[in-house]
Amino acid sequence: MSDTTWLDRGGTHAGSRRAGWPAWLLLAPLLVWLGLFVLLPTILLVVTSFSHRDELGRVVYSFTTENYLRCFDPTWLSIFWNSILYALAATVICVIVGYPAAYTIGRAGPKSRRILLTLVMIPFWTSFLIRTYAWISILSQEGLANSLLLSAHIIPGPLSMMYTPFSIVLGLVYNYLPFMILPIYTSVEKLDNSLVEAAYDLGAGPLRAFSRVIIPLTQPGIAAGALLVFVPAIAMYAITTLMGGGSNPTIGEVIQNQFTRARNQPFGAALGVLLMLLFLVCFLVLGRKKNSSASAA
Amino acid sequence: MKTIRNLILTLLPIVLVACGGGSQPSPSASTPSSSEEKKLNLFCWSEYIPQNVLDGFTRETGIKVAVENYSSNEEMLSKLLAGGGKYDLIQPSEYTIEALIKADQLRPLDQTALSNFVHIAPEFRDMAYDLGNKFSVPYMAGFVGICINTDKVKTPVKGFVDVFTPDHKGRIVVLDDAREIVSWALEMDKLGLNSVNAENLKKIEPLLKKWLPLVKVYDSDSPKTSLKNGDVDLGVIWSGEAALLYQENKKFAFVLPSEGSHLFVDNLAIPKTSTHPQNAHLFINYILRPEVSKLISDAFPYYNPNLAARKLLSPEQLANPASYPPAEDITRMETFTDLGKESASVDELVTQIKAGGK
Repeated sequence: MSDTTWLDRGGTHAGSRRAGWPAWLLLAPLLVWLGLFVLLPTILLVVTSFSHRDELGRVVYSFTTENYLRCFDPTWLSIFWNSILYALAATVICVIVGYPAAYTIGRAGPKSRRILLTLVMIPFWTSFLIRTYAWISILSQEGLANSLLLSAHIIPGPLSMMYTPFSIVLGLVYNYLPFMILPIYTSVEKLDNSLVEAAYDLGAGPLRAFSRVIIPLTQPGIAAGALLVFVPAIAMYAITTLMGGGSNPTIGEVIQNQFTRARNQPFGAALGVLLMLLFLVCFLVLGRKKNSSASAA
Repeated sequence: MKTIRNLILTLLPIVLVACGGGSQPSPSASTPSSSEEKKLNLFCWSEYIPQNVLDGFTRETGIKVAVENYSSNEEMLSKLLAGGGKYDLIQPSEYTIEALIKADQLRPLDQTALSNFVHIAPEFRDMAYDLGNKFSVPYMAGFVGICINTDKVKTPVKGFVDVFTPDHKGRIVVLDDAREIVSWALEMDKLGLNSVNAENLKKIEPLLKKWLPLVKVYDSDSPKTSLKNGDVDLGVIWSGEAALLYQENKKFAFVLPSEGSHLFVDNLAIPKTSTHPQNAHLFINYILRPEVSKLISDAFPYYNPNLAARKLLSPEQLANPASYPPAEDITRMETFTDLGKESASVDELVTQIKAGGK
């Protein structure tokens, strides 16, 4: 991360001068990318969300707000709410599991730190779909987990773990944990040890030093991690479909369904736009929190 | 603080890629050049065309087959109509053929290029949805029936009424297919398989509200998986999937629901927008070859409409009750017809009950 700080310094220098054409030239690929793959699709999505569809499901570009009105039907609202709960549960568990891991890695010696970081990244070497299928064979009624627990006589009969909210949240946590660990790790790594020592010198016990000094100082990492886990977890549909069995639908599944089976792209687009607005609110809330805590410090 | 932002910016694409991982890797759309290009973009059901058949075709003709899968006719339709002509060959069921012909989306077949069509059983030719087989050739047929793990379910199960009981709550898998689910309820209430209209949908709503909360898994791609893993004990699934389970273990029984069942016929057809229609014809004729059709039956034991291929099957294969149920049951069965506008309300009803009925 030392190179990023170098970049930051470069950034402030460049900011004091006026950007000339070489700067714009350097930015051009990014701007084209953003225009083609962010701005244009978003416009398309918004336009589609205000459109009709014909008998075969093709989009008819005539204005209507009915798709949005439909979104506020209790059916869809409750699915929205469920997805938020799943994502929230996954985020909280990720913080609880990820924080100690990130802290340990950040405080470890340089050599073991590199090894530990690699270990965190290793799951990314396999496609997440394959990893999800692995979970299915572990959690199923006649799967690895149940047969181990049964043969050790820990449980009297096989547990029903697959296709439940439990398996959905587990799938989300497993998949997004590294996105929590890495940002917290960067915060922990930059944590000035003398501040922690100062807390001890001033009479704070380990618990107090942790809650009053370490947590606030690594809070940006937690916030970034929470955002990186929470936002994609709400919209995730592959894991929730595979591990939830479709009987606990999430908003991601519903949207995907509108674009495929249900052949109702305008309605899917309207739900997608609402989801984007929800993310925007998340960013604003967390961003404001970060700013206020920064000014307080 | 900025490092965090940088980290987010660097990680975000990874997150996005990870989220998008579920979508199909779209085969790069072939440049619209001559139809002689050695390529074929096949859009077919998942778990339906075995890899060795595809490999055999490529070995023989040098034509590379790019495969993309779907798990319902509706999904196929929406991607086909939005796809801008990247598919050369599709595999719709009878009612979807009907809809596609109505919408003028299919290319007429060149009968002279399909010499192996003679092997198709007479009862599978000239079907009502495509008289004269102008646009489609039957691939496989099948039924939707009840598959029971007889080790776990000891009470007799004869029809939907025995499947959807409070006793079986959380032990049921059903196809993730709104049209199918609605048709079961219509059969149950004796309203007729294809009589989908607002009034009848209203009538079956209470039944669906009773049924769907009992379901644990919705899966059209591979409903056998949850049965095999023991996560569910019975289900309403494709006959071919039940036949595979029966092959593996005789404890999996297959029953055609007493309330009524329907025959589905999946076909090969060429979309109007196909850029490799000649290759598509070659592929259809290859599939119709008895030896090749037998390979398909080996891998996916549905009801084979290819008479010459059926002669090549082993007695065990023909004795599988899920693949080849009694002939008199089959002749009684109806097929789905295109619903037109109503198909949208079918999906809406099922999705809402699925979501709200918890």
